[in-house]
Amino acid sequence: MEFEAQENQGNNSIQGVINLDPQVNQVQAQQQEITIKQTDIQVSSTLEESVAVTLLRDLRQIGVKLRCVLVPTMSSNNAKELRNWDLWGPLIFCLMLALTLSMSGNNNDGTGIFATIFVLIWIGSFVVTLNAQLLGGKVSFFQSVCVLGYCVFPINLGALFTLIFSFFYLKMFLVIGCFLWSTYSAVGFMKLLIPEQKRILALYPVILFYLFLSWFALIV
Amino acid sequence: MQNFGSNDDLDEKGHVMTEQPKIKVKFEPKPKPSACPICTVEYYQKFFDIEQRDVYMRVRCSLLSWKPEFQQCVAKNPDLWGPLWISTTIIFILFAGGNLSRFLLEEDKKHFQYEYNYMYVAVFLVYAMAFVIPIILGVIMKYILKSELGVFDIVCMYGYSLSVYIFVLILCIIPYNEAQWFFLMSGLANSTIFLLVNLWDFIKKSKPALMIAIPIIVFNVALILCFKFYFFRLIYAVDD
Repeated sequence: MEFEAQENQGNNSIQGVINLDPQVNQVQAQQQEITIKQTDIQVSSTLEESVAVTLLRDLRQIGVKLRCVLVPTMSSNNAKELRNWDLWGPLIFCLMLALTLSMSGNNNDGTGIFATIFVLIWIGSFVVTLNAQLLGGKVSFFQSVCVLGYCVFPINLGALFTLIFSFFYLKMFLVIGCFLWSTYSAVGFMKLLIPEQKRILALYPVILFYLFLSWFALIV
Repeated sequence: MQNFGSNDDLDEKGHVMTEQPKIKVKFEPKPKPSACPICTVEYYQKFFDIEQRDVYMRVRCSLLSWKPEFQQCVAKNPDLWGPLWISTTIIFILFAGGNLSRFLLEEDKKHFQYEYNYMYVAVFLVYAMAFVIPIILGVIMKYILKSELGVFDIVCMYGYSLSVYIFVLILCIIPYNEAQWFFLMSGLANSTIFLLVNLWDFIKKSKPALMIAIPIIVFNVALILCFKFYFFRLIYAVDD
């Protein structure tokens, strides 16, 4: 492989010439053709399956990721699963939480609460992730939003418990338990990606985020 | 798609005999900086270059407000982490604590109506105090009054000056009028003294610079009046 460079002062660019070994190029071109053909086959097969099969497959993937996120055993399998982020799971849990809280009995501002929870979850996840990135964490943006969204699931359970039970101290105990579960899972994921001296700075917003949501689940 | 030669062009060793393709590559120089540097994420990365030890020292500086040590603590490295998360914590405490304080006074606890407007008002009030007002004051100080402190230094200082309110507002949940006024007044004193002491070098320079002290004091007083009369107002049931 040969490379010559000339500086072109006129338009501030450098022109170079690369000589490639055509044999190598041919093999690479063939390999590229083969990969394209494989993806063609995959695309056409998912287009032809029934809606029920697609939905079930997506739900199963959401279930698998949920188990990875909420049973915090940080094995390498978990980490690999979480790298295939999706936003369907967070959307489902966010809508479930907003609906549960807006429909519960003792308030007359259901639509306001729905909007508040929805906006709070998405903007909150966005700001917490941005904070972790600005602190120098090597965290992929949507992967982090995905994990934060999946960790909202225990707070969903907490909101359902508050609907079912009416004894206040029992509700408080259950919601505190759900808050600790959410926070422990989210913190377990995030703390691996932030350098040691800035860990608390990145984790405190996560705790505040779930505290806000748990408080809403408790009082409504 | 370029033709890299067919099998007929092979020589006895199997190498292709057609002319080797020459691909011209143009290297562009580094991408030009965007037209709006303040809008990019990279611009703000330098304001998050602190560690948890630094945040602890800065909060401690702000709580011991009579010592003019804040500029030393900051050491030319103003941060935005402190202002952002201290103000968000205060919003949570105002929302939760304000309603809790009303709940403790309420006689009819079963039919207590949560006031959700507290959150929207808290967001508006606290973010205005922590960001909008210091940016305006900082711009005035830097460009009109020619101070050495940048806009973000002032934002950082204002953000940490609010840290005392985290403790004050938790204590204000206690539903006694006198106790609430006492805590709010001590918070006001601490916060205002912190700002004035650390800006004293700049304020004492000239008469216009002295005028800056007035809006600082006025906005702080307005803040605690809003705290008291909106979030922690005590409405006692009147016995006839």
